[in-house]
Amino acid sequence: MKSSLTRIFWLARLTFLEAVRQRFFAFLIVLGAAMVLSSFAFRFLDFGHGELKFIADFGFGGLFFFGSILALVMTAQLLFAEMDNRTALTLLAKPVSRTEFLIGKFTGIWVVLGLFVFVLSILLGVMLWGRWQELVILAEQSAKVAPQFSLEGVFSHALLQWFRLGVVTSMVLLISTIARTFLFAVVVGAMTIVAGQLQWLAQEALFKPADLNPLSHALLWLASRILPNLQQFNIGDALALDPGAVMSGAVSSALLSGGFYLIAYLFLASLTFKRREI
Amino acid sequence: MSDTSAISVQGLTKDFRVGLRGLKLRAVDNLSFEIPRGQVFGLLGPNGCGKSTTLKIILGLVAPTAGKISILGYPSATSEARQRTGFLPEAPYFHKFLTGRELVRYCARLSGVPTAQLDSAVEEALALAAMSEAGNRTIGTYSKGMLQRIGFAQAIVHDPELVILDEPTAGVDPVGSAAIGKMIHSMREKGKTVVLCSHLLGQVEQVCDRIAIMDRGRLVLEGRVDEVLARRDKHIITVEHLTPAARVAAEAALQSHGAQVTSITHPRRSLEDLFRELVTGSRDA
Repeated sequence: MKSSLTRIFWLARLTFLEAVRQRFFAFLIVLGAAMVLSSFAFRFLDFGHGELKFIADFGFGGLFFFGSILALVMTAQLLFAEMDNRTALTLLAKPVSRTEFLIGKFTGIWVVLGLFVFVLSILLGVMLWGRWQELVILAEQSAKVAPQFSLEGVFSHALLQWFRLGVVTSMVLLISTIARTFLFAVVVGAMTIVAGQLQWLAQEALFKPADLNPLSHALLWLASRILPNLQQFNIGDALALDPGAVMSGAVSSALLSGGFYLIAYLFLASLTFKRREI
Repeated sequence: MSDTSAISVQGLTKDFRVGLRGLKLRAVDNLSFEIPRGQVFGLLGPNGCGKSTTLKIILGLVAPTAGKISILGYPSATSEARQRTGFLPEAPYFHKFLTGRELVRYCARLSGVPTAQLDSAVEEALALAAMSEAGNRTIGTYSKGMLQRIGFAQAIVHDPELVILDEPTAGVDPVGSAAIGKMIHSMREKGKTVVLCSHLLGQVEQVCDRIAIMDRGRLVLEGRVDEVLARRDKHIITVEHLTPAARVAAEAALQSHGAQVTSITHPRRSLEDLFRELVTGSRDA
């Protein structure tokens, strides 16, 4: 067990080093940071929802969008690079099982995504907190009610997003172990992420008393089981700006559900990867 | 299977499905052979004859369609078998941002070398591959010969009992090839089993104890090098200072005993020997 964990650690370490050296990672982290920072300049376009909400939505949106792209492309690229460059041959000829190889890859990528989420969340947290301080002073001066803000909520959301990206990574890993080309893995992975974002629609349709034919019912049931509900992780603005509105247990429920899908996808990926000829 | 076998392959067959219709392509066809421990074994054959597929199956990287393979008594593709095996793939590619020393260290960690022995194992492997000095350079700056040598170092860092080398001299100059030949010799001296897959027949002849030749997925010949190459019906006598008169006398003497002289030529050295005599070493050595 200890030696297996050691191997996973070293595989994850190399994957992390490889990933953070990629220009793609640097490009997306700069783009994400630019989007978070630019939200301050565009805050006057708040559509009547309040400045903090606009900044939070803009920042969380950037985190969600660029994080998803990073998880999708980096996961598929790193796995295919190992197979195309035949570095996987060298590694898998050692006493490294394919499951350890995949878990090592997953862990390395997840740590990189954690770094991405952490950097952008720090930036967003600082911006929101700074503007909140100004708005509190302004509210006191004009005898108005000060807006709510929870820095803890920003970091709870960061944790949720990191978990969501973990689920996406495991999902893309599963697809990549079946796919023959990098492009196929990216296209199908992107479609699956979109489907995961819309999974709640399938769940809602199932619970509605509408008259569904058996085939539609079966398909909706299947979709709502095999796909995770990625939408449940997007409660950042509520966590940061209106913590009282968040149902108790929403965060832990999302983490539990995400954890279940993450482990299930990794398990399936390990089964399919075992059959793959390198 | 014999207890003295490093590798035992019994009835190995591998079919690949190709195209949308899933047509069957037989890459390896009912292959059986045993490689004794402590020997250098050459696996030869033309491109596409199934050598690399056979090696990949032995290493558990590809699943066989039929047949049994064991490595040092353990079923192949098990952790126990891989723990005792080192592998240098054909045209090895490693992460370019690592230094040679970091790569070998990383491979040692993956192969389960204990922390207390890590430094000495890494340095020993680098020294054997003549890469100690270049060990702190990043792999992206290495020449082809150096890549092969660092590949050799990562294959032997955990002191495996069996070393499998797939085309270790491909694209390497004769001096580099000779260096790799020396490494193979040193592995044999340590009592290791080496499986060598190569197109350089001259080198295989020099370093291998046994060879197997494959063609179209089948084994066409297997045996000790000196046995399979010897022509028992002909003899070579090497003579110095042969004058024309001595030659006539010798021919007559041989004919009087029923022997027939079919050719008398000057012995030749190989082009590789001549090259190695003239060229002292690679710039990257």
